[in-house]
Amino acid sequence: MSVVARLSANVRRQGEGLDLALPYLLLAPAVLFAFAVLVYPIWDGIRASTMSYRYGKAVGWVGFDNYTRLWSDPQFLNALWVTVSFVALAVAFETVLGLALALFCANEFRGVRLLRGILIIPMVITPVVVAIVFRLIYASDAGMLTVVSQSLGGGPVEILGHPARAFLGLVALDVWEWTPLEFLILLAGIQSLPVEPFEAARVDGASPWRVLLDHTLPMLKPVLAIAIVLRTIDAFGTFDQVFVLTRGGPGEATKLLSIYGYDTAFKFQDTGYAAALFVTMGLLILAAALAAVRIMKGMTPP
Amino acid sequence: MTYRGKYLRTLSRRKLLQSAAGLAAATALPLGLTGTPARAAGGKLIIGAFADGGLTPFKEKIIPLAKAEGFDIQFLEDEYGVTLEKWFVDAQNKAGQYDLYLLDDPWVPQFGAADVLEDLGAAGIDSADTDWIGPLIDMGFWPPRKGPRIKAFQDATPKLVTVPFVGDLQTLTYRNDIYGKTAPATWDELIAKGKEGVAAGKIKYPVVFRGVTGNPIVTSWYPVFLAFGGEFFDDKWKVTFNSDKGKAAADFFVSTMKQNGPPGVVEFDSDQEGAAILGGDAGAIIQYSGNAIKSDDPKQTKVAGKLDFGIVPKVEKAIAQLGIFIAGVPKSAPNKANAVAFLKWYTSKATQAKLSEAGSIPVKRSAFEVANPGNRLIPIALKQLDAGAVPRPRTPDWGKVEELLGIELNKALQAGSGGGAALDLAAASVTAYLTKQGYY
Repeated sequence: MSVVARLSANVRRQGEGLDLALPYLLLAPAVLFAFAVLVYPIWDGIRASTMSYRYGKAVGWVGFDNYTRLWSDPQFLNALWVTVSFVALAVAFETVLGLALALFCANEFRGVRLLRGILIIPMVITPVVVAIVFRLIYASDAGMLTVVSQSLGGGPVEILGHPARAFLGLVALDVWEWTPLEFLILLAGIQSLPVEPFEAARVDGASPWRVLLDHTLPMLKPVLAIAIVLRTIDAFGTFDQVFVLTRGGPGEATKLLSIYGYDTAFKFQDTGYAAALFVTMGLLILAAALAAVRIMKGMTPP
Repeated sequence: MTYRGKYLRTLSRRKLLQSAAGLAAATALPLGLTGTPARAAGGKLIIGAFADGGLTPFKEKIIPLAKAEGFDIQFLEDEYGVTLEKWFVDAQNKAGQYDLYLLDDPWVPQFGAADVLEDLGAAGIDSADTDWIGPLIDMGFWPPRKGPRIKAFQDATPKLVTVPFVGDLQTLTYRNDIYGKTAPATWDELIAKGKEGVAAGKIKYPVVFRGVTGNPIVTSWYPVFLAFGGEFFDDKWKVTFNSDKGKAAADFFVSTMKQNGPPGVVEFDSDQEGAAILGGDAGAIIQYSGNAIKSDDPKQTKVAGKLDFGIVPKVEKAIAQLGIFIAGVPKSAPNKANAVAFLKWYTSKATQAKLSEAGSIPVKRSAFEVANPGNRLIPIALKQLDAGAVPRPRTPDWGKVEELLGIELNKALQAGSGGGAALDLAAASVTAYLTKQGYY
């Protein structure tokens, strides 16, 4: 091989090597960052869930004992039931209300822009502040509901001391705060629908109710599914509002998985068991999301 | 010679190692090897506390005195519900965000068992000083000097890991226009005269307490339980709170006290019970000093001059629950020497006298005898200490035990009956939990 040929071969090899490595080098910082903030914490959580902790320190490997313990723990089963009930009820109300508001605000009328702006205000308020405000509304001694009731000649209104009312009070708080998110997503969905089918239906003399059932909802199904999935995932992790409003009481009526897990980890320092609880909770949310995505795929028009 | 060459020649590897070793020794000696840390320059001290009225005199009167003594104090307050976890994580991860924690005393076993606090006895705090109130200094040790110990610490030597800071305990606050100048001696008297006060339109209900699940309801129930003669555990950690006496106390609490308390008491926490007594609605309350010391301040109460203090009412005994603020120095404290120096100054006879004059309950007996205590509560607190006051059981699992008991008591309170059955349920849960933790 001539000197020139050898040199050019060398140059090509160097170029090929750099070309090969460059994308990885450029991606490396992002991959490392993702590993540090996403993969490692998940891995560490899973590792912790297989350990037994005592006095804040890991004392031994227990395999899947923490996971099996969950299913015989009445407090966990209660928290799971409360969480699923809370998510189902809150998301259902939020979706129906959000849809109604989106349908109303999709029309153009005087002041609609202002109304849309006002409607999303609850969503941007810090959850802790919302919870404090609702506590001031619900408190049986000096809360707003009690004051109103007493001014009308009634007695104190007890919300937070009664299991069913406290639970529904928590749902009401969540509905007030997060209906705007559903509203926003669904409004965007409605505004992106083609106008022709609706004009055709109007020409054919279809009632608004039939237009809603036969055109709006079928075409809006994918957006609805996205809204429901997002809210479901988010509602599963609800913590701040319960922490401030009820701390899980009265009794265990509002003890969500997040609160039980937090207490187990930080108050009772049963770190391994709490990790198993949160991993299980993560898997449940993942399963719910995957099921929703599957349903959503089935609904998407071809 | 270049600057670099001169530098390299001057700072040889050996010299560098010698300097580093010297610096390390100079830092370590005052902290660890000499036992008594010297105060670091500047006197910087970061104190962590949970928000509570019981610390108001300390904040308002003692911190300025400490500053005059050369301590540069940063006082960081948090809501009660988050401090335990926040400080435990700080201590365990050696984050070094605080020099001194002002703990609630039931947390001492958790921090002690995790071995994250300095041995203050070794650092020079004298626990043998006879001026300490005995039960209070006992609470500073881990493992406990008296009473049952958990298995893992059965043979360990007790160390003074915390130092009593404010000698808080439960006492009775009552309306003198309902009960007269003498505190009601029994629970029956408290309820009966309270009803007369309601009938006369002076108050809305005889008694107020905390009903929120977990720590609040157990704290309110505990003095009633002690009054009935109940005992929580035996010396082998066997649950005994569901004895006949315990059940009688629980039934009295969830039925009689509920009927004579405010509507909605199930959701009452310290802010609401404080508002009820200071607002003039309630006739009596068992409480810690946080709200009690506000009783004479017309800005904070509608019934100034009508509130007096007494020892807790009895059925069999008049025993209160101790719930003191207790100070611990994390091993990761950045200004450890300052923290120890501060504690020595704070627990001195002279500073304790100032604390008493400021209106806070001291931790040394001599300070109860000052000529002008800053609050009428202080002599009553000493009376209660002498009549009987006990801490909660010294176990790192107290938080979980309190949670399990609190849930059942709260459910019974909602129903207004079934206190005894609630204790049986709680006893079964607590026994199962402690069995799993290796207590038996």
